[in-house]
Amino acid sequence: MTQSLTENSTFPIIAANSLCKTVSTSEGPLDILSAIDLSINFAESIAIVGESGSGKSTLLSLLAGLDTPSSGSVIVKGRDITQLSEDGRAAFRHELVGFVFQSFQLLPGLTALENVMLPLELKGDSQAETAARALLTRVGLAHRLMHTPKQLSGGEQQRVALARAFVTQPAILFADEPTGNLDSKTGAHIIDLLFELNQEQHTTLILVTHDATLAARCLHTIHLAGGKRV
Amino acid sequence: MSRFNLALKLLWRESRSGELTLLALALLIAVSSSTTISLFADRLHRTMISQAAEFLAADLALAGATPISADWLQKANEMGLAQSQTTEFNSVLLENEEILLASVKAVSDAYPLRGFLKTTDAEDLNTQIDRRGPEPGQAWVEKRILPALKLKLGDSLTVGEKKLLISRVLSYEPDKRGNFYSYSPRVMINLNDLQATGVIQPGSRVHYAFQFSGAEAALTNFRDWLKPLLTPAQRLMDIHDDRPELGAALSRAEQYLGLSSIIVVLIAGVAIAMSTQRYTERNFNTTALLRCLGCKQSEVIWLYTCQFLLLGFFTSVVGCLLGWLAQQGIFVLLKSLLPEQLANPSLLAYCFGFLNGLAILFGFALPPLLRLQKVSPLRVLRRDLEPTPSSGWLIYGLAATLVCALIWRYTEDLKMTAMILGVGLAALLGLSLLIFGGLKLARKLLQHMSLHWRFGLQGLLRNSRASVSQILAFSITLTAMALSFTVRNDLIDNWQKQLPAEAPNHFALNIFSEQQAAFAADLQQTFISSSRFYPVVRGRLTEINAEPVQQRVNKDSQGQEATQRELSLTTAAILPEDNKITAGDETWHIDQPNLVSVEQKLADSLKIRPGDQLTFSVGSEKLSATVANLRNVQWDTMRPNFYMIFTPGSLDAYPSTFLTSFYLPKEHKQLLNRLLKKYPAITILEVDQILLQFKAILAQLTQAVNLLLYFALLAGFSVLFAAVYATLDQRIYEGALLRTLGARLGFLRITQLIEFGLLGGIAGVLAAITTEAILFGLYHQVLHIAYRPSPYLWALLPGIGVAGVTLAGYWGVRDVVKQPPLLVLRR
Repeated sequence: MTQSLTENSTFPIIAANSLCKTVSTSEGPLDILSAIDLSINFAESIAIVGESGSGKSTLLSLLAGLDTPSSGSVIVKGRDITQLSEDGRAAFRHELVGFVFQSFQLLPGLTALENVMLPLELKGDSQAETAARALLTRVGLAHRLMHTPKQLSGGEQQRVALARAFVTQPAILFADEPTGNLDSKTGAHIIDLLFELNQEQHTTLILVTHDATLAARCLHTIHLAGGKRV
Repeated sequence: MSRFNLALKLLWRESRSGELTLLALALLIAVSSSTTISLFADRLHRTMISQAAEFLAADLALAGATPISADWLQKANEMGLAQSQTTEFNSVLLENEEILLASVKAVSDAYPLRGFLKTTDAEDLNTQIDRRGPEPGQAWVEKRILPALKLKLGDSLTVGEKKLLISRVLSYEPDKRGNFYSYSPRVMINLNDLQATGVIQPGSRVHYAFQFSGAEAALTNFRDWLKPLLTPAQRLMDIHDDRPELGAALSRAEQYLGLSSIIVVLIAGVAIAMSTQRYTERNFNTTALLRCLGCKQSEVIWLYTCQFLLLGFFTSVVGCLLGWLAQQGIFVLLKSLLPEQLANPSLLAYCFGFLNGLAILFGFALPPLLRLQKVSPLRVLRRDLEPTPSSGWLIYGLAATLVCALIWRYTEDLKMTAMILGVGLAALLGLSLLIFGGLKLARKLLQHMSLHWRFGLQGLLRNSRASVSQILAFSITLTAMALSFTVRNDLIDNWQKQLPAEAPNHFALNIFSEQQAAFAADLQQTFISSSRFYPVVRGRLTEINAEPVQQRVNKDSQGQEATQRELSLTTAAILPEDNKITAGDETWHIDQPNLVSVEQKLADSLKIRPGDQLTFSVGSEKLSATVANLRNVQWDTMRPNFYMIFTPGSLDAYPSTFLTSFYLPKEHKQLLNRLLKKYPAITILEVDQILLQFKAILAQLTQAVNLLLYFALLAGFSVLFAAVYATLDQRIYEGALLRTLGARLGFLRITQLIEFGLLGGIAGVLAAITTEAILFGLYHQVLHIAYRPSPYLWALLPGIGVAGVTLAGYWGVRDVVKQPPLLVLRR
């Protein structure tokens, strides 16, 4: 089933149905997530909050197609991604998803410009450099294009990561503790930038955070405790 | 295209960061060594083929131990073929109280029909090309004859009974034969002077060669006409055949050098595998990110494979260039043993080196590289997620397949390949188990050691497999170098020392029957005691029980070698005292002619049993004999020994010369001069001089092999550095932690020294054990002499191991203590 998705569409862009994740341990099976249901509409922002070990990152990884659930499904734009093969999920991420990580995850051997170009180069986009330059300028790093991550501060690295995440104009952006490794002032700037870019590109934002202030800026909040939605 | 550009960009970045430097270096070493051998062998083969006519000095050559029928020469004339003739024999030259064994070649006026000779003056200033040999009355000599006999150009030289004028120094002849006697210096004379020398008599050991050239059709017709008329003792060669003695020697050289280069490939391969493993582990996060951004598994592998292909391409090109340089070095080292004019290597030889490089790279790098395919994208969130290790079957299977293919390439014999692989694997396994056991024992003793030694040893035990690889790599290389050194310097000397004090040190050959009694009397008068005088007839074994011998021989066996040349046949009323009968009739029936006693090993090689009927060709005659018994021969007693001994009377119908050996002390060498003046046709071989020549040849050959061993040493160091870099992060972390806990810089340095010192020391001790074992086998099984362990090996090898490995390893970890502890721990 296809639907034309507009800014005002209330059709969920991503939905989870009875999502469960169980892992085997030496003490027996451990439920990381139990029967999680959620539905996120186009261009909405949602924060997943909870204490350490509540299953936030696991939920994010399932929604992003980085992992497969033990049971349940994740429907993205009408497609059940849990039924896709590993390469199928890679294609899904390629097409629709952007990521921002707590540890920035920049390639140490590439410059800022090259890191931002990377997703577009993987798509075979011939305008990768132009788009990357534009986005790096947008995040205020026009003067640091040729610097490698080693030469950038934490805040600057996360700005590069933001530029990389948004350069493909993803439909959905996943952010895992984007300010976790930053001081509060820098973190605040990063969050402002994140939401500005999100607004500009009408991206659906799914955010994992401890930070209540950050969670408050999102439209919805999902609380997890012990792998369950509370 | 953009994916390719991405691969290129990532490779460029990685190369600048030094990650792939070690890998490229190891590959460079492997490609250089295998290209060296490939180019060396190819140039020799191409030289053989392209200069075949020059090597024959004709289009067609007929060689044998007897002159050919005049009818044959007449036939060649009728067919319009040009002809020439050469006669080669050994003769002892005596001038100015100096003696020298020379190889004399008498050449006809038309020689050489193809190619040319080169002569020069004594100072090598005036080299000229000559289309024909010396004029009658003149002699051309190889340069080294002049100082050896204290002669100069213009002096006279007596060959046998003929005095000749030395007019030129001979610097090049196209068809110089590659057998032992060609290492004697050359004297070239005109064929018209041969008879006057009086050296050649019936029974003399002479090599006759008749050369022909002309139109292709005429040559073919003549060859077809000639072939059915040939005796087994005669050999026909044309430009399409390899010359057997050169071809066999070159094949053997290529084989040994090629197999040696495989050791280099193996050691370098370990370094490649270790470097790739570290490279892939450091790229787990990158791979996870790429997967996260949407790269499929196949695309990830393509990206890295592309990088490695590019790396392999560029490195192999440079390796081929270095290989070219190194093979030039080998040719310089072996200059005196090889043809003067050499063909350039073919493109195919370069291609082999290049493709070999790619095969080596992927043979050792592919298993760790494939691990990247299994990296989960989830690793971006969970750093603890690691892909499963590559299958051991894949790792060892690929490497074993590659090594197997290389061994087969050089041996072209599946059976030998399997044997070498089997023995090699068994040896590696045995040594590995020994090292593992040693490390396990060391682990148990840790608690009893001081803190320095404990930390130092723990460095070694941190990754046992890596430590075993390093120890093996160094011990194999040190063993090979020790063996090369010992063979060159000690082997022959030790063999000589084992001989009894007055073991015969001279052989007298070509003693004519009428001279034998007088010669024996002269020896006695000078109180020189000789061994028995044996009559010698030259003959070739042609049939066993009416079956041609070629159908019984195995390739490269002792039997094949013995059937491709004439043997020295003799008779004896009593078998030599030290020859023990091992099978057949113990009684030697001297009243029954045409019985023969055969040497045991030759009999085994040709499957000869007592009672068999053997047929020999002696000149144009046939001789049959029945095998009476088989006997063991002690070849190293310096007394005359024979493969075939007949009962008295068996060889009376054939012309013969006599052979004996005797001991002559150094201070009485001048007695030889008197003997040679009286018996100019006799050949006297001075064992000391022959051994000196042999040692010189061996020194040259081992130098060429050493070139490969230097490659192996470099490969060994690359393994060491690969292991060090694989653990560098861990070392840095541990160093930072220890310093934070109060350890001083000196403590860390000492533990590092201990770690690498132990590594090198264990490798050195293992090398000493292995070298002694191999030398023991060599002395016992091959030379049949007692072996005494050498103390200097036990001091030198561990010392070199400790020094070399410690210095290199210490340099490799120099940065470990430079980084501020807090920064490291924060990471």
